[in-house]
Amino acid sequence: MKALKISGSILGLIFGISLLTAAGCATKGVQPEKLGAQLWGENCVRCHNAPNPQAFSDAQWETATMHMRVRASLTADETEKIVAFLKMAN
Amino acid sequence: MKNMAVICTCILLFLGGGLFAQEENELTEITTRLNELKPGKSRFMMRGYAHSGLEIYENSSSFVGGSFNPIFLWQQSERLLFEGELEVELEDGQTVVGLEYANISYILSKAAILRVGRFLLPFGIFGDRLHPRWINRLPTNPLGFTHDAQVGPTTDMGVELRGGMPMGTGKINYSLYIVNGPTLNEGMVDAEEGGQLHYANYNDNNKNKAVGGRLGILPLNNSSVEIGFSGQRGKVGDTDSEYADVSATMLAVDFSMVKNLTALNSVLDVKAQWNQVSVSDASYISPEDPTGTTEYTFENKSNAWFARAALKPAYVDNAVLKNIEFTGRYSRMTLAEGAAWATDQTQITFGFNYWLDWRTVIKFAYQINDTAAESDHGEGGGRTTGLTGGGAEEAAGGHGEPSGNAFFVHWSIGF
Ligand code: HEC
Repeated sequence: MKALKISGSILGLIFGISLLTAAGCATKGVQPEKLGAQLWGENCVRCHNAPNPQAFSDAQWETATMHMRVRASLTADETEKIVAFLKMAN
Repeated sequence: MKNMAVICTCILLFLGGGLFAQEENELTEITTRLNELKPGKSRFMMRGYAHSGLEIYENSSSFVGGSFNPIFLWQQSERLLFEGELEVELEDGQTVVGLEYANISYILSKAAILRVGRFLLPFGIFGDRLHPRWINRLPTNPLGFTHDAQVGPTTDMGVELRGGMPMGTGKINYSLYIVNGPTLNEGMVDAEEGGQLHYANYNDNNKNKAVGGRLGILPLNNSSVEIGFSGQRGKVGDTDSEYADVSATMLAVDFSMVKNLTALNSVLDVKAQWNQVSVSDASYISPEDPTGTTEYTFENKSNAWFARAALKPAYVDNAVLKNIEFTGRYSRMTLAEGAAWATDQTQITFGFNYWLDWRTVIKFAYQINDTAAESDHGEGGGRTTGLTGGGAEEAAGGHGEPSGNAFFVHWSIGF
């Protein structure tokens, strides 16, 4: 039980430190106009590993990104740019 | 000489014309073939995932059949999408097929999507986003997030409005839903279970619908952090019973962070969620009384939470090391103190994964389970029931065995 509590505290510490570093690294100011590749890199890793653009055909990417727009509540603009990038990079 | 030149030109033109006509024919044929392959506006895609593994406990070990989950996606138009998932599992030598979800989404506007049917509830993030085996970084689910011991809902039938939009320098996303909601186990069949909630309902047991939602805030403009607040409330008792007015209020807070740690050439992924389920006061048949006439009551409030971290040195040069990911998770579940099914459990799971590609992984993990001593519980006896077992459906304790430490090797593939 004691070991569990200690491990719990360590995880809590990692959690706290990571939040602080994340806040420190984010650029400040109004959301700049971002490219599809950057949006893919930032968003498609949030829940699972970023998918390889070559994994699917253009038509398949349209369906998969629509699925993700619904499931991951991506914004409409993000989705549009990401799908254009994936179709170009596959 | 002049005549020769004219004749040669004529021959060349003739041949060239012939060649051109041949090219034109080929082009027409290729165009026809391509047109035949045109995907059309309505698309079907079959995806999904599968997993299985080896689980080693103190006195036993077993290869587990795991599951195969096909996912069907039909994109009827740019606005209309159907998603359906089946779960095919082996249970006690039988193949069991379950319906995980089946719903239609219609994109109403840039920031609003209507979903109807059976869907994964955005109550926190584990059920909605993290549970698929190729996404969950550990072979087991956290305490309180398993089929056997569930604190908080994961799927239900109903209607939902959801969406995401930019907000200031960051983004927000939201979901508002009305569903059947969980039902109350009145303890009539098994007195030891009185007061528990059943979540997987295809029919409602009353006219009241559960209302819930989640607000997700991504405060940073690189989308690396998300904090979510979820809630759900509704009556859970049977209309015609003395429990008709018993209701459940459920709350969850979740946290996600994915961050490149340049100094370590690694990606750090942190996820956490806390769930609380409170059922309003009611009396149930006391399991201590074999005649079934005495009633008892308790504070029906359960909590479950987990925090997990995964570190993947994805940017190192070493071809093997870059595919390895180190993982650790702490989870704790306390179920209704004073109830016959009360428990206080903690679990720590740690290990590493080897990624063959972005959605195929072999996971190695060691899991330590700890259940607080019986005397820690209230006057209800504080027995640990089978329900409160280990992390995975197959894990020790999941079927009424005492929970213990275990070693897991699982593989999962998303496709
Ligand atoms: C908020 C979490 C989240 C984010 C962000 C996210 N995904 Fe997913 N993704 C999921 C989940 C959950 C599944 C598994 C769906 C299931 O099993 O029900 C999934 C599955 C997939 C699949 C498998 C096929 C499918 O549609 O199920 C692909 C491809 C995919 N995601 C691509 C992407 C891309 C591209 C992005 C970036 C635009 C992205 N994902 C961002 C959660 C997310």
